[in-house]
Amino acid sequence: MSRTRTMRLVAAREITERLRGRTTRLVTVITALLVVAGVTLPGLIRESSKPTRIGLVGPAARSLAPALQRGARAADIRLSLTDPTDEAEGRAALRGGRLDVLLRLAAPERTAQVEVEQTLSPTIRALISAIVQQTRLDAVLARAGVPASQVLPALAAAPVAVSALKPAAPEEAARDVAAIAASLLMYLSLTLYGTAVATGVAQEKTSRTAEVLLATVRPGELLAGKVAGIGLTGLGQLAIAAGAGLIANALVQSAKIPASIWALFPSFLAFFLAGFVLYAFALAAAGALVSRQEEVQSVLLPIAMPLILGYLLVFAAVGSPDATWLRVASLLPPLSATLMPARIALGHVAWWEIPLVALLMLGSIVAVARLASRIYAGALLHGGARLGWRAALRLRGR
Amino acid sequence: MLEVLDLRHRFGELLALDGVSLTVGDGELVGLVGRNGAGKTTAMRAIMGILAPDAGEVRWQGGPVGEGERLRFGYMPEERGLYAQMRIGEQVAYFARLHGLERQAAARAAEHWLTRLGLGARAQDQLVALSHGNQQRVQLAVALAHDPLLLVLDEPFGGLDPEAVDSLSEVLREQGAGGRSILFSSHQLELVERICRRVVVLDAGRVIAAGTLAELRERLPAQLRVRVGGSTDWASGLAGVKVLGGDEEGVLLRVDPGVDSQAILRAAQAAGPVERFAFESAGLIDLYRRMISRGTAPGPRG
Repeated sequence: MSRTRTMRLVAAREITERLRGRTTRLVTVITALLVVAGVTLPGLIRESSKPTRIGLVGPAARSLAPALQRGARAADIRLSLTDPTDEAEGRAALRGGRLDVLLRLAAPERTAQVEVEQTLSPTIRALISAIVQQTRLDAVLARAGVPASQVLPALAAAPVAVSALKPAAPEEAARDVAAIAASLLMYLSLTLYGTAVATGVAQEKTSRTAEVLLATVRPGELLAGKVAGIGLTGLGQLAIAAGAGLIANALVQSAKIPASIWALFPSFLAFFLAGFVLYAFALAAAGALVSRQEEVQSVLLPIAMPLILGYLLVFAAVGSPDATWLRVASLLPPLSATLMPARIALGHVAWWEIPLVALLMLGSIVAVARLASRIYAGALLHGGARLGWRAALRLRGR
Repeated sequence: MLEVLDLRHRFGELLALDGVSLTVGDGELVGLVGRNGAGKTTAMRAIMGILAPDAGEVRWQGGPVGEGERLRFGYMPEERGLYAQMRIGEQVAYFARLHGLERQAAARAAEHWLTRLGLGARAQDQLVALSHGNQQRVQLAVALAHDPLLLVLDEPFGGLDPEAVDSLSEVLREQGAGGRSILFSSHQLELVERICRRVVVLDAGRVIAAGTLAELRERLPAQLRVRVGGSTDWASGLAGVKVLGGDEEGVLLRVDPGVDSQAILRAAQAAGPVERFAFESAGLIDLYRRMISRGTAPGPRG
């Protein structure tokens, strides 16, 4: 029987059984919900910075409207002005949440009466104060015989032209977020699916199913099929989550994910696959060493360490993406699985680093897969106590 | 025909197989007996290719055993192993497919065997939902579903109730009648005696006896019960004969192979009227005990 057929059968069983399990479905739903939340929440939060709604009661207050709008524009504040017919209606609107501020002004010289539900933001307060002052000044000048048309331009809130010495790249914030989000997703999914591989292997070993399997299947085929099956299940879950995110993004249109960030997805996917295969083989070998299911966590720890390290270093990368030690670390497997996609997202990667990191990654996958297959084959049928990997390498498998 | 030639294997200090050879012909049921640690499981694993022995060879139909041949072997390991959460119908079909059956053929075979073993209604159940005995039936279905030419069953009767034992025996006889070669190990010697014509006795990694039960009996000392009126010590001094004991039923003699029983009869007649002269037909248990106690040191795995 062909090797690929055996591997396909093993992978297909893995997928079917996982899809049937409650855990997989739960994880899929939770991941999708998290992604949807991540896409829509920033939009909903921005929603709250909607224009401040001010109700102007009385002719004197109403006459402030043009000046308020001009002042707001200069100060980059968004206002929405309405004219309630009287104070009572304005107060009702305030109470009903249809207004944020109610402004009464009996006459230009009088004190402006402001009612709010709880507090008045300092910017709106300063704006109102400035405009009322301007109107008063205007009235005084008019009485003194100075034509308003000469004075008004000088009194209008002056726009300020700002130029920054270090202008922020338009998508820099988005890139930082993408780098951290990508590595977090990578870290979580590698942990989740990598652990699934190790647990699955340990189950087959401790339940002695491995012995029945190995009577017909080569250890390498079993291992590769298992890694492929769990990897595809994970990829499917991620695809569902990404799809849900895209749909949410299209419906809400709030996240405003820049096109250049979407363009990073293929490389994220490539690093996810490579990282998963690398870790999965190592974790499968670790899973084969146990003698009892309870030991899985402890054999996983040494392999999880570089994964955690690779994730934590991403934060250093966001802070100083050009540090030499970071560039070197991001080329080295297994750290490259999380560090390189983050650096790509940050946009500080030289062209030659890509083929180099791919070469190093593929080379280490081949090496780790070979070593892991030997450990796996040796340890899978070993009945006694937990094995060290050196001892497993010495055991002869088929 | 399965031929096992001079298998040798060592686990560290432990000599598990010390030159084991045996054959199982087409349509033949061979029982592999021996105490714990005698090397039965190791020998079976070597036959199944799960363990690469230090030396020796396993041949099938006169040729070496490759992957193609192994696809037509069926195996039931001593430590049962199946997926606990998987539905048993799919599980049996899955293993049949790993042995080369196409999807539909595998599904049909799974249905056939589960029904045959009385689990037809439970194909949708997970393995864990089944009783121990029923799980064992599933394991047997896994070994049988791909219609193997050679069946290697390690303690297939362990933990089965009498009814299940009967149905398994019937399946094995049927497989044998269909020309399949069957090698199985068991502690339940009366079962082996009932099902097999031929047994192989392992001890400390060596074959200490092999053959039909009749052959084994011939090769081992027989037990003879003789009652002679008025005399009990007539037998002492006879060549090749040892007095094992005596009571009102007469004396019990151990007679070495090749000793002429007529000479013993003549000696008895000379001593008095012979009231009883009978060979006690030894069952496998007796034979086994005698073989094991005959000079073989206890195996290293005890």
